[in-house]
Order: sequence, then C-alpha cells, then structure tokens
Amino acid sequence: MRKALEGIRVLEMTTAVAGPVCGHILGDMGAEMIKVEEPRSRAHVPGGVPPSIEGAPDRPYNRQTNYVELNRSKRSLSLNVASDEGREIYLKLAEKCDVMIENFAPRVVGNLGIDYESIKQRNPSIIYVSMPAFGKTGPYRDRGSYGPGIDAMSGISHLTGYPDREPGKPANFFCDQNAGLHAAFIIMTALRHRRRTGEGQYIEMSMLEGELQSVAPALMDVTLNGRNRVRTGNKHEWFAPHGVYKCDGEEAWIALAITSENAWNQLCKIMDRNDLKENVKFSSMEDRVKNSEVLDEILSKWTADKDKHSLQKLLQSNGISAGVALRPNELFEDPQMLHRSSFAWSDHPEMGPFPHTRTAWKSTRGNTGVSRHGPLFGGANDFVFRDLLGLTDDDIQSLIDAKITSYSPVTD
Amino acid sequence: MQGLPLEGLKVLDMTTSTFNYAGKLLAGFGADVVKVEPPEGDPIRYQPPFVNDRVDPELSGRHLHMNTGKRSVILDLNNDSDVKQIKSLVKNFDILIESYSPGYMESLGLGYEQLSAIQPELIMASITYFGQDGPYADYEGSELVADALSGYLYLTGDPDREPVKCFDNLIEQQSSLQAAVAIMTAVTARELQGGGDYLDISATEAALFLLGGPAQMYHWTDRIAGRVGTRLMNSAPQMFYPSCIRPCKDGYVHAHSNTRYVDLLGILMEQPRLNEPEILETPMGHADEIDEIMSRWLMKHDKFEVVRMAQEMRLPFTEVFTPEEIVNDNHLNERNFFVEVDHPLAGTVKQPGAPGMMTGTPWETKRAPLLGEHQDEILGN
Repeated sequence: MRKALEGIRVLEMTTAVAGPVCGHILGDMGAEMIKVEEPRSRAHVPGGVPPSIEGAPDRPYNRQTNYVELNRSKRSLSLNVASDEGREIYLKLAEKCDVMIENFAPRVVGNLGIDYESIKQRNPSIIYVSMPAFGKTGPYRDRGSYGPGIDAMSGISHLTGYPDREPGKPANFFCDQNAGLHAAFIIMTALRHRRRTGEGQYIEMSMLEGELQSVAPALMDVTLNGRNRVRTGNKHEWFAPHGVYKCDGEEAWIALAITSENAWNQLCKIMDRNDLKENVKFSSMEDRVKNSEVLDEILSKWTADKDKHSLQKLLQSNGISAGVALRPNELFEDPQMLHRSSFAWSDHPEMGPFPHTRTAWKSTRGNTGVSRHGPLFGGANDFVFRDLLGLTDDDIQSLIDAKITSYSPVTD
Repeated sequence: MQGLPLEGLKVLDMTTSTFNYAGKLLAGFGADVVKVEPPEGDPIRYQPPFVNDRVDPELSGRHLHMNTGKRSVILDLNNDSDVKQIKSLVKNFDILIESYSPGYMESLGLGYEQLSAIQPELIMASITYFGQDGPYADYEGSELVADALSGYLYLTGDPDREPVKCFDNLIEQQSSLQAAVAIMTAVTARELQGGGDYLDISATEAALFLLGGPAQMYHWTDRIAGRVGTRLMNSAPQMFYPSCIRPCKDGYVHAHSNTRYVDLLGILMEQPRLNEPEILETPMGHADEIDEIMSRWLMKHDKFEVVRMAQEMRLPFTEVFTPEEIVNDNHLNERNFFVEVDHPLAGTVKQPGAPGMMTGTPWETKRAPLLGEHQDEILGN
C-alpha cells in the first residue's frame, strides 16, 4: 500500500531541531522531502563521527548521527538562496511544491525574499509553515532562542526538578519535538482544507505557544485561584508512594507509582510489612500523601539491595505500576521496544544500518516507520535541477562554478 | 465559503484524562468530537485545579482546557444497551479514539476487528502506556513508569540525585498529540485511497521520541549519556557553553552563548577571563568556572534586565518564568494567546488558546461541555 503522503512534495528550509522533526515526520509518512542546505553547511564536521562502511566513500559530513537522525526520510538540495540566481531557483522549485517549512528568526525569510508573500505570488495554493520560537508578532518576535531557552520561558523549567534545588530541564529539551508534532498535525489539516477548496494558507507554529498547551494545569491554577505553583519533584499531588528509588548497581533506579488501595496492599505484602498497612499514618491515600517522605525512606531502604529488572517483574506481576529508569544503552535491548520495533532501521549507504526513533504508533496499513536513510549531501541536486527544473549539464556546471550549488560542502 | 478544515469529520472520543488532548486538537480545527463519558463523568473532571478550588465535575480547569469544542454524551460501558448504542453510533462516525487498557474494548465487542466489520472505513486510535502487544502490554501503567521505561526519566535531573520526572502529565499529553498526528495521516490515506486504519499508540514511545539523540549516540559511539542538570548532554570539552539555567538577582535565567560570536559573553559581562583562548577553545571543559564568573554579573541584575541586555547583543538568553509571569506576559497578551471562554457554571475562564495559527482557517476555542449536555441530540431521543 502507498504511504499516506506519497505525492505530496515538501520544501524544507530549517535548522536546529523543531523544523527538521516536523519535516522527518512528513517524510516518514511518505511525503517527498527536499531539504535545502547552504553549500557551505556541513563543512565543519566535529570529530568522533562513526567510520564509513567498507567500500563506501569516506565523507564524514554524511555521517553526523544527530543530523542523520533528524533528517531521515529526506533528500538534500545544496542551494545558496542568498544569491539572486539561487533565490530564483528556489522560487521556481516552490512552484512545484505543496508545502514549505521554515524555522528562521522572523526577519530572515523576508531578507532572503522567500517570505510567504513572495512564495504565494509564485504558488498561490502553497501551504507555508513558519515555526518561530515566539511567533512573528509581539515584543519577543526578534529574540533568538533554542529549545532549552524556550522550555525556560514556558514554565516547564520552573515546574520540573527538585523542590530544594534550582529549576530543571526535561532530559535534553521538550519543546522542539512538541512543536514538530503540532506542525505536522496542522500541515495535514491544511492539506485536507486544500483538497476540499483548493486554497493554500500561511501557518504560524509558535514553539512557545505549542508548549504552553502542556502547562495549562499550572497556568489555570493562576487564572482560577491565583496560585503560583512550584516544582514538586517526583511527588504526586494525589498518589503516594510515588518516586524513583535506588537499586543495586551503578545508576540503577526503579520508578514506582502506587495509584490505588489494591496496589498499596500488594506492596505491603511483597515487602512483608503488614505493620505499614496497619499504621494509621498510612491508612488512606490522603494519609500516605501527607507522610510520603517517611514512605520514600522506607522504600529506598527496601529497594537498595535489589536487582532493578527482577524488581520490575516482581512488582508488575503483583499489579503495581513500576519500571526501571532505563539508560540509553538499555533501550535497544528492552524487550518491549524490541517487540514493537520502537526503533526503525534504515540502510545508510555510508554508515550501514541506522536505528531511528520512530513516531509513537503502529498502523495496520503501514503508515509508520521511516521512508529512507538520512540525506547525503546534495543527494536531491540532480532530481531537482534536471527532472524538476529541466537544467542542462552546462547550467548546473555554472551553478557549481558560482558556488550556488555543490555536490560536497564548499570549504573556502 | 468552506468552513473549518476538519469540518465533516465525526469523532467518538472515549479517552480519559490527559489522553483527551487529541480530541481537543481535532475539535479546534472543526471536527465534530463527541466525548463519551461514564455516568459520573471522565476522571479528568475530578482533577485540580478547580474554579475557586471548588471540587465539582463541571469546574475542573483541566477538563475546561482539554475538552474545548467537544460535545458530551453519557454511556455506561458496564451496561449492555449502552455498549450497543456505541456500536450503532460507530456506523456514522469516521474516527474512534480510546485509552482503555489493552483488551478491554475487545471484551465489550468494541475492538477494531469488531467495529471495522460494522464500519469498514473506521479509523480507530488506541492510546496506552506501553502499546497493545508485547511483554509489557499488560503492565500497570502510569505517567511516571512510561517516563522511566522510555529512558527520558533517567536523563532528567542532577548527576548526584535520583532521576526526576518532568512536570505533570507531559508524556500522556505527548502520546495524545502523537495520536492526533497518526489520525490525520490515516484521514489523508482514507480520503485519497479509501479504507480505515488501526493506530496503536504507546506513551512510552511518545517519551522515547522526545529523547532525541542519546539512544543513537550510544549506538554509534558507546557513550552513555547521563543526567547533567540544565546543561546540554554533549560534554566534549570543545562543545560550546553556556547553555544552562543560572540564578540572577531576582530569580533565574537560561544563559546561552552565541555559538558564532563567542566573545560576546565576555564583552556583555565585562569579564576578560571569559575571552581568554583557554576558555574559548574548550568552553564545556571550563563549565564550572564559567558558571562562577557569570554569577558575579548575573547576581547584580534582575532577569528582565539580563535578558534584555543579552538579547541586544544577540546572546540568546531567556527568563525562567513562573506560571504567574506567563499569564501576565506582555508578549503572549499582545498576541491574544490566552482566551476568555464563557461557561454556564464556571463563568468566564481565562485559558490557553490556539496551539498554532492557521491564518486561512483559524482555530476556535469553544467551551467544554457539561456532563451529558448533548445526550438527546446525539442519541436522537
């Protein structure tokens, strides 16, 4: 069966993470992705890239793992859009695309002459998506920022972390993938509108505003009750015990959430601590929440000498919500991830098999997984120049001479 | 004129709590979303914050946010005739979303196989903590445990402390956002090629998706990322720095270097040491020292001053905001991000508005339904 977005062509001009994530989701779902890269991009490759496979050319710029992951299911077009000739090629290409995605600071696309108004003149039905950090209007519009900086402004940093320490940060960051997913959803919504009406449109996906959807409970505690919430670490408002406890071994942790009376009774039984069950300090969920610190101490002592994986099995087989805080090296051997193919493999021509984190669903008609390996530098050049725009060998050579395009990163 | 982009799509929303988000997204862009609730209402109606702290199923702020634009019908899954009612409704619906434990819908005769026999074009999305099958399918799920088994929990927090969960039900909401994307993929496929789809969404995988590079980094380099507080995980000494949260005079800021013009930080803070080659060549290798030097300057200024001065020099600093500061923020208010929604029992409620802007077909924030408010019109009594 064809993938859902086959036949949709997307022009992507993005940097950092949020824009690339949006693009790879569309590519994973079958869209034909053309990622535009400046001919000088990828020129400086930091050390430590994986080796090339036997028989493949040694081109480190094609083997940057983060880049390959974020840009799988795409092909790369090398084009200097800042030149007049490059811009004209870009506009001609935009005429043949259904969607354009960009995530520059608001002034940049105007300066390059590839803002919505310019593109729309050439292709009135295009769906044009901007993914600025804070939106194209308002006092913060020209602020520079990256993922963790937007997490800070969203309240997520203030609300994540230990109550007795400084604000925190969810793992690497949160807002980039969140914005990429929202944008992909809205693009498919806009494509439906275009199928029905023929109309394209301009979409603005503010990373901050997408992220604030998840902060609503705290924001509404302000608007409804004037209460300014603080971070509470692993404690839960309604449930206890609820925490992450040290097990035997290096960086071995188990997470445990007692969310019902039944689970509490089971836990006391497994721990062989009938005294806890009968203690008035712990007789209801409310009491346990009130005295959660005592419980956390008792649990920490109990888990300290136990194997984390056996403990997960034991607790779960007794109906208790518990799971190991898996480390990055354990993800590939986790039986659930293996069973569900949570990593989708592509065959990278210069790196070999590459494990990509797929979107979080399986689909009976196959709209999941990835569509192709990460983009080799200039891999879409011939397709775009020859097949789409009908340029000749001489045309292409003169673009190369003028450094408007390239088949390997331009270094001077 | 054609209306909203998802007009004409009919959705049965049988999700609970934070899994409600997908239905909200579909409703905001024009789908007709019918929320199926048990007689006492979706558990989200009993979750704080409440309007003026009054515990009441119509006054939960979470409900008022997560169920905007939906209609509500009460159908009791413990009651055979109500289950039959759902089967007959499905014939006229395009999409069904649910978040019960694996196997529960089948046990009622409401599994995908059973329902697609009645409605072959049905798109059904099931959201669970671990997915429909596999060794953990029958595990007891929770936000915290999905966080743990995805690897996201392990990487959140400080190196000398236990891993710490991220705020609230972030991961449940991500799984519902993933469901919305999956559903639009299936809608596209159905409208272009025909046929339905069954979408099996895992909250653990939604958190894995947030993880980004650490899994791939391990696969290719054998380096195991760990918790680094608010710094970035790539700790190679030549990696740029700062990217971290630091205290200032009246709160905290997120400090970030300009990776192109690396001397700007030293110029802003008037600290020549920051521009010595030793530091510029290996910023991450000097992270602790940089933190200490920055503190001397940061502690003299409040967060708005810090960010204003830094941003004027193209240093991408930002403030660490509290919820109250966000609600009162000039930028968001100038953009009309928050909306005031009238509700018959809650009064006028100020809440977050559109997650993103479609200029041609704008998002609508219509109030959440009362429990069973649309019983008669939906069941045709």
